[in-house]
Amino acid sequence: MSLNDAARGPFARGSFLMRSKEARAAGDRTAVARLTLALLVVLSLAALALSVATGASDASALNVIAALLHGTEDTALSVRDRIIVLDIRMPRALLGFLIGAALAMSGAVMQGLFRNPLADPGLVGISAGSALGAVLMIVLGASLPAGLMLALGAFALPAAAFIGGLLTTLLLYRIATRGGQTSVATMLLAGIAIAALAGAATGVLIYMADDKQLRDITFWSLGSLSGMTWAKLFAAGPVILLALLVVPFLSRGLNAITLGEAAAFHMGVKVQRLKYTAVVAVAGAVGASVAVSGGIGFVGIVVPHLLRIVIGPDHRYLLPASALLGGVLMLGADMLARTLVAPAELPIGIITALAGAPFFLWVLLRDRGRNGW
Amino acid sequence: MILARNLSVGLSGRTIVEGVSLTARAGELTAIVGPNGSGKTTTLKAIAGELASKGEITLNGHDIRGLEPWQLATRRAVLPQAATIAFPFTVREIVRLGLTVGPNRHAERIDAITAEALAAVDLGGFAGRFYQELSGGEQQRVQLARVLSQIWEPVLDGEPCFLMLDEPVSALDIRHQLTIMQLARRYCEAGGGVIAVMHDLNLTAMFADHMVMMKGGRIERAGPPAEVMTDDAMEAVFGCRMRINGVPASGAPFVLPHTASS
Repeated sequence: MSLNDAARGPFARGSFLMRSKEARAAGDRTAVARLTLALLVVLSLAALALSVATGASDASALNVIAALLHGTEDTALSVRDRIIVLDIRMPRALLGFLIGAALAMSGAVMQGLFRNPLADPGLVGISAGSALGAVLMIVLGASLPAGLMLALGAFALPAAAFIGGLLTTLLLYRIATRGGQTSVATMLLAGIAIAALAGAATGVLIYMADDKQLRDITFWSLGSLSGMTWAKLFAAGPVILLALLVVPFLSRGLNAITLGEAAAFHMGVKVQRLKYTAVVAVAGAVGASVAVSGGIGFVGIVVPHLLRIVIGPDHRYLLPASALLGGVLMLGADMLARTLVAPAELPIGIITALAGAPFFLWVLLRDRGRNGW
Repeated sequence: MILARNLSVGLSGRTIVEGVSLTARAGELTAIVGPNGSGKTTTLKAIAGELASKGEITLNGHDIRGLEPWQLATRRAVLPQAATIAFPFTVREIVRLGLTVGPNRHAERIDAITAEALAAVDLGGFAGRFYQELSGGEQQRVQLARVLSQIWEPVLDGEPCFLMLDEPVSALDIRHQLTIMQLARRYCEAGGGVIAVMHDLNLTAMFADHMVMMKGGRIERAGPPAEVMTDDAMEAVFGCRMRINGVPASGAPFVLPHTASS
């Protein structure tokens, strides 16, 4: 016997007509969210295909696929095309998509956890820690034992960035946790302090760096998807994929925590476990991304914000939609980066900031006073 | 039944609540009253399992510290004092949080319960509005609808459920104060229990079955309002000399602030 089970007419919510009409008037954005997700899946596939098909070279993806299907092994031209399509464009497209997805979804998770639409993964020290790790490797890598550097090879820089990001995040988490309770506010404040410290250390290293190292540092910090290989995909991909698969399980908890940590606990959420899982997943995903691509800004804030306007803040839809849109935008930006000044290439971080910032400002100005900010 | 025995809570080295023992029965509205800073909210938070505490707390005979958050969430729901939300949720989405977080026993009735819960707090037709655009009192009622939908059945599997309300009518106009208190009353009549931290002594006298007066982190008086609300208790607990009067018709006691003397 439920409370207030007032007798209702048989027409109240029987027919489909009444239900869908009600849904629109009654703040139910589920249908819009599902449609958006379906659309984004199609867009993602299109972006991946387009990304493999286009580039500075005229190599034709269709020819290569046809050649693969027919098992033909002929001219030198098709060998060149095959290398371009299969070994350069394909890993780049896949990894680019994963990185975009990781950055956007991580942004959405951090914003939910910190209950602040402006939070981004940088807040938990990942960016500063990764940068410090990368710069350390660029400047001091030469003085490491040659055997170690040889063994690490191309992975030395990504590994250093990844470890730097993860260590900073775990340190921050330790600082903010007292008696089994993590204070999100302390984490935010300590994050600012640690980022400043890491920034200062990075500054010292930059001061010590020679000209070539300076160029490496600058290029790394601008972010780029160039030089993606299957090896890098296999190194960073699984970490990112794992995070992308784990995070959606946090949606209900993140929905609840938007009402506050106490309210989330009242609603049955294991708040501490939620916070820990979210922070580690984000550190892993963003650490792995930043490690292979450098600093690519704006995706983590712009993408979730846009989606919230369209489908609302329900994380069950927001998280997968952010991942897909993040991937699509990243591939779009990368296609521009590759072709605008071909055969040279722009750092993708410039494109995302150049396109993202004005667009974000436009949305903010348009929505000023609406939606609560 | 909720039973707290010898409950003590310390926050950053200071004892806020000490030696509190109280019983909240199913079918009864238990009101906690007392001056600001007397430990009312802290007691409620401890009973909700949100604050670490010493002493024994049982919910329907289970030690609450041995229950998982989701198990607690099926037996009690908590209305916080105030809640700000950073994201543009609609009213409907907020209420549905109560139904979709934690174990979901009402999957097929989510829409119906959402609508009924909103109607119960007199917010029918508000489902499509944005939470952030509502007034404080309306927001408080949206939160109450969410809390209500979390434990929609006052009795679940033979065990009573408990609404824990921290100042549920503090932001409401007089009509909605009555709406909400009557809602709490009906929840009790249907077999559930309600614990409410209250400031309005007249509403408390009208609706509470059991009244707990706190002062300085301890319980000063406890019992039915007609017995607890005395001139002497007003002075002892609130430090204010006032006369308690009864309305002849119902006999429920009331206190007029007009009667305050120095």
